[in-house]
Formats: sequence, C-alpha cells, structure tokens
Amino acid sequence: MRRRQGKRLNWRKPGLALSGFLLFTLALGLMKGGAGGLTPLLRNHLEVTNAADSMGFGWLMAYLVLSGSPVAAAAVALLSASVLSYLQAFTMIAGSRLGACLVVLLIGCIYILRGHEHWTALTAGILSLLLTGSIQLAALPMGLLILGRGWLDGLSIPALEGLAAGINWGLEPLIGPLAAFLPGWALFVAGVGLVTLSFRLFDRALPQMRLERTDLGQIPRLVYRPEVMFLMGLAITLLTMSVSISVGILVPLSARGYMRRENIIPYILGANISTLADTLIAAALLGDPRAVTVVVTHIVCAAIISLLLILLAYRPYERAISNALAWIARRRNNFALFLGVIFVIPVVLILL
Amino acid sequence: MKILLCTDGSSYTARALDLGVRVARKAASAVDILVVAKRDREEKARQMAEKAAADLETAGIPVAIHRRSGQMTEEVVLQAQAASYDLVIIGGRERRGVMRLLLGSPALRVTEHVPASVLVVKGQARDLKQFLVCSSGGPTSERTVRFAGRLARALGASVILLHVMSQLPLTKSAVLDDLEASAEELIRRGSPEGVHLGRMLDLLATEGRTGHAVIRRGLVRDEILAESREGQYDLIVIGAHITPGLNARLVEDLSAAILLTANRPVLVVR
Repeated sequence: MRRRQGKRLNWRKPGLALSGFLLFTLALGLMKGGAGGLTPLLRNHLEVTNAADSMGFGWLMAYLVLSGSPVAAAAVALLSASVLSYLQAFTMIAGSRLGACLVVLLIGCIYILRGHEHWTALTAGILSLLLTGSIQLAALPMGLLILGRGWLDGLSIPALEGLAAGINWGLEPLIGPLAAFLPGWALFVAGVGLVTLSFRLFDRALPQMRLERTDLGQIPRLVYRPEVMFLMGLAITLLTMSVSISVGILVPLSARGYMRRENIIPYILGANISTLADTLIAAALLGDPRAVTVVVTHIVCAAIISLLLILLAYRPYERAISNALAWIARRRNNFALFLGVIFVIPVVLILL
Repeated sequence: MKILLCTDGSSYTARALDLGVRVARKAASAVDILVVAKRDREEKARQMAEKAAADLETAGIPVAIHRRSGQMTEEVVLQAQAASYDLVIIGGRERRGVMRLLLGSPALRVTEHVPASVLVVKGQARDLKQFLVCSSGGPTSERTVRFAGRLARALGASVILLHVMSQLPLTKSAVLDDLEASAEELIRRGSPEGVHLGRMLDLLATEGRTGHAVIRRGLVRDEILAESREGQYDLIVIGAHITPGLNARLVEDLSAAILLTANRPVLVVR
C-alpha cells in the first residue's frame, strides 16, 4: 500500500507538468483560432490601433487576470493571427509585465484593508513596480528601434516548431469543431482561461525548492553581491517560470519572511528577463517567427538595460529606487498618488 | 593596547600621525612609529616621527621608531605582520575613479592584509569624542563592539550603536511590527534584532561604556553614511567583513564600501 502511494506521488508532478503543457498548447491554439474574431472588438470598440493602445491594453489585461504570462501569451497569439502588429505585440508584452506587478501590491493592500496599519506590507509590491517600470521604460525605445530596423527578424526555434506542428495536427480535431461552433472572441477568452490554468498546473508541478539558511552557510552572504543576485534571479526564474515562485524560494534565507532590499533589487532585475521564457515557448509553439522575434527582442532589451545598470550604474540606480520607495511609502497621500498613476497611465495609453 | 603609527613625510600622513598621537596618549601601552619615506621626504618624515615620539614619551608611553624603504602600503603590512599590534593607524591620499579601479585603494589593501584593527584617518581628524558603531548582527559584531567600547572608554568618547534594517516583507508571515519599531521597542519586545542590540549594549557596559542603540531603515551602506553625517560622528566603527581569495569576488564587502566612501575616520575592527 505504502509502495503504491509512493509511486503515485512520483508520477503526480510529471503528470501535472504534461497536462499543463498540453493545456498550454491547446490554449495557444484556441487563442490563435479565436484572435481573428477579436479584431472588431479591439480596433472598433477598444480602439487598440497603435503601440501605445496595446501597451495600455496589455497592462490592464494583466491587472484583470492578476498575471502577466497569460497576457504575454495572448499578445503573441494576436500577433500570429495578424490582429496586432510587430510593435503592438511588443508593447503589449511590456504592458503585461507592468500589470503583473499589481498582484504583489494587492497582497499588501489586502493586508492593510484587514485592519493592519503597516505600510511596510506594500513595499515589496511598490518596489516590484518601480523596478519593472524603470526597465520597461528604458527597454521600450530600444525594442522599437530593433524591431523597426529588423535587426532580429527571422528568428525561429525549429525544434519547438516541429513539435508544435505535430501537436497542432493532433489538436485540430478538437479545435476545428469548437471554432465552427463558438464565436472567435469566445474561443480567445477560453484560450486565455486555459493558459492561466496551465500556468497553475506548472506551478503545482514544480518541486518545492527552499534555500534553507542552515544548509547553505555562505549563501546569505553570497547574495549581497548584485551581480551574483542578478544571475540567481535569472537562473531560478528560468527554472520556475514565475517571478513570484522564484522570489518565494529565497524567503527562507531570512527565516522571517523578509528579504533585504540589497538582495531583492538585482534579483528582480534578473527575474524580469527570464520570466519571458514561457512567452518565448508560446511564440515558438505558435510556429510564427515574428512572434519569436518580438519575444527575443523583449528579452534582449531587458537584458541589455539590466546588465548596463548592474555593471555601470548599480549604486545610483539602487539608491534612486530605494529613495522612490521610501517617498511613496512615507505618507498615505504619496501612496494614493502612486496608485493613481499606475491606474491612470494604462487608461491614458489606451485613450491616446 | 599596542599601536602602530605610520608616516611617509606627506601632509596626508601628518594628519594621521597627529590623530594617532592623540589616541595613543590615552589608549596605548606601547607605540611603534613606522617611517617609510622616499629620499626627498626623508628628513621631513624623520622630524615628524621624532616629534610624535617625544610627545608620547612625555606621556610616559614607550616608543620605538622603525625605518623601512619601499612602498608605504606594503611596508605597513610587512611591519604589522612582523610584530603584534592591536591597532594600526594610517592616513594617506586616497585614489579616486579610474586610478582606484586600476591600482586599488591603499587603505583597503592595508585593512585586507594587516592582522589587526585599522584606523584609517580621513576628512577632518577631530578628537574622537563620538563613535558610531555599526552592528550587523553577524559574527563580527561582538568583537567590533568590544573593541569600540575599550577604545571609547580610553578616549572618554560616547557610543551610538547603529543597526540598519533593509528588509522588506515578502510573505504574509513577515513580522511587520518589527520592521517599523524603534530600537527601544525592539529591545523591549525581544525581537531577534532587539535581543542582539540588547546584548551589544550589555557588552559595551562590560567594557565600561554605556551607549544607546539606533535603528535606521534603507540601504545599509547609505544609511550608515547618512547617520554618520547627520550625527556629526567623529569615528565610524565597523567589523572587518573582508574575505580573502576567490570568495572576495562573490561576497559583498560592506566594510570596504564604507571605508572608501566615508568622509571621516573609519575604524575597521578585526
């Protein structure tokens, strides 16, 4: 009996991962199939017609689903169906990264709404938004330039594309009848729902990694070097495919649910680059080289900006972020202004 | 306390020698003065060393003058390794920008290689009346506080114990009360930081000095420097975090960062 339980436990996580992958592929197929039906809604009603609109759209969508990855996957699906242009897909992915930070801020807000007068609960969310915002702001013109000049055009991942062709052939009998029966927008929404579910399955499939303080003597000191922390953020997020999970892995280092800001700033910078790995897989599975180019451009821009900051201007950057964080968390009015800004900007972008 | 003072005849080391004599008169049981001078400054360096020795001998402190030739940094390290000192007091011009990047910092080189505590004299070398003792809670804190307490008692200086909390809460289980509390509240509450600060204050008391604790929040290096500026401290005391070899590339070195950026004397306790 015990042996059987052990066997079931061994198969559970690979089973979840495989189910997540199949669901992810199905969701991409549905989004790609249904994206065409979204064109009137996006262009006529929401007026998502330029790069600023799509950035605001991606930002607000990420707020809505409380995650960036499904929105980024939706962006490449919309590009693949030619609903969005190159530049629009790029800015929508940038918006999705900014919107994804809201979930960390919301956890802090809920804590305060439950009657705890602790503004420090908000600091991790604010920090996350400030870091992502500053990187995206700098990466945006660089990305638009790279895409505009076509420097990274024609990229593809043949191995994944071959796999995608096989899977799509297998899924066609399922997607075909659904596409005939459901309107395009419903197919797309179902795809977004399934992709969100697939990320949950991936999260549950991941091994419970914890860096325990007692087991890794030098680790707590090691992570004080920004370069080391940056690489750790990059690598661990690549393995876990989620910024929140990869940050969670580090928390036991402090044993009290804390993390020093010296450590977390370069870590999030690294994590912000590799968190797009799932979007890159989505782009490759869609079999569209344009989608791969957009995601790679995003990764390259975020990596260049982050590396320049880490290597050349880390201390002033760290200080500026820390000062901005202190100013926002100092008074209710400042925080209200910050909150206003992060909700007003995406709306203004859509209205542009 | 056996102290090593150093001079190369320059105005930079003159300031260090002057402060060193003032410290040694109150805190030293014996003093060695090291003279490392190039030919054009040899006479000046000799005069400075002899004047310092005379001052100290007047105060009843035994003094020996050692002469070496070569690079100041290397000779200080060799002298400190050859004899046993409790404190080495150095000064000298600090390199900046690209020159520091290419050639390194002489003060840092000394603190890395000397097996004793090092007082690096920078900025205005006033009488050391107010110490800012940085306590990280790590393994070096106890030694740092003991040494600072001993020196403060000898000099009649007051001591402020600083602990910087740069933590951010990342989970629901994080104890937010502790992240917003004052040093007194943390000590009263018995939080890990409070217990540490309480223990360090007790250690200070056993060294014959009472002090009080201050908590700041933010980036550790910036907060230490900000506190030293705002509090007009005469001396920053910090434990040697310096790690030799390959580990030095991986492990952050806070004492080096403070040493290079502070605009007042810094004591690195080993």
